[in-house]
Amino acid sequence: MQDIDAEIKELIATIIEKDASQIDPDARFIEDLGVDSMMALEILAAIEKKYKIVIPEERLPEFITLNATIKIAKEYLADKK
Amino acid sequence: MMSSLNIEEIYKILPQRFPFVMIDRVTELEPRKKVVALKNVSYNEEFFAGHFPNNPVMPGVLIIEAMAQASIILFCGGKDACADKKLIYYLGAVKTRFMHPVVPGDQLIITVEPLKIISRAAIVKAKVQVLDKEVASAEISLVAK
Repeated sequence: MQDIDAEIKELIATIIEKDASQIDPDARFIEDLGVDSMMALEILAAIEKKYKIVIPEERLPEFITLNATIKIAKEYLADKK
Repeated sequence: MMSSLNIEEIYKILPQRFPFVMIDRVTELEPRKKVVALKNVSYNEEFFAGHFPNNPVMPGVLIIEAMAQASIILFCGGKDACADKKLIYYLGAVKTRFMHPVVPGDQLIITVEPLKIISRAAIVKAKVQVLDKEVASAEISLVAK
């Protein structure tokens, strides 16, 4: 599962144009990392595409930190299996 | 279900008005799945007077605008789906590539397909062709409010 953590971190880093090493797992996207709502949607879409899962848009407001995002992604990955 | 839209039907969907309507016709409309739209580029377009004198080239930002307007039609879904909502659309992000200049006489064939659509926003993939040649492509994020 460690791989998924690193992959999602990398994917988010690319979208928000920061170095992966700069992203604290519990840093808040909007307040601390300057992420806007459109980037959050891009993150959701990128995760869906990478792992071929569907995350309902109701979950989007829960994408508030890297750790929270990884947790949600893993939920849907587990459902898939 | 596939259908097409004439300019009157396009006016019901797009909030833009003259001289900023960058779509003349929609030839294919699969609600929220695919839109193919046309924009005829005439030498009479006012921007050609200054962009550039003696060297008329359609400004890239207007090609982006054409792709964005086609994206609105894709986002809206059906013919009357957005008619009374009075939504305003904002571009969130655009990643564009321009391959060839667009000149008077060209007909832009704009194809847009969703990468992700939710109730208030969309990320779409767009490409613009003149005849069979791809002249521009983009990934566009838009928000409706």
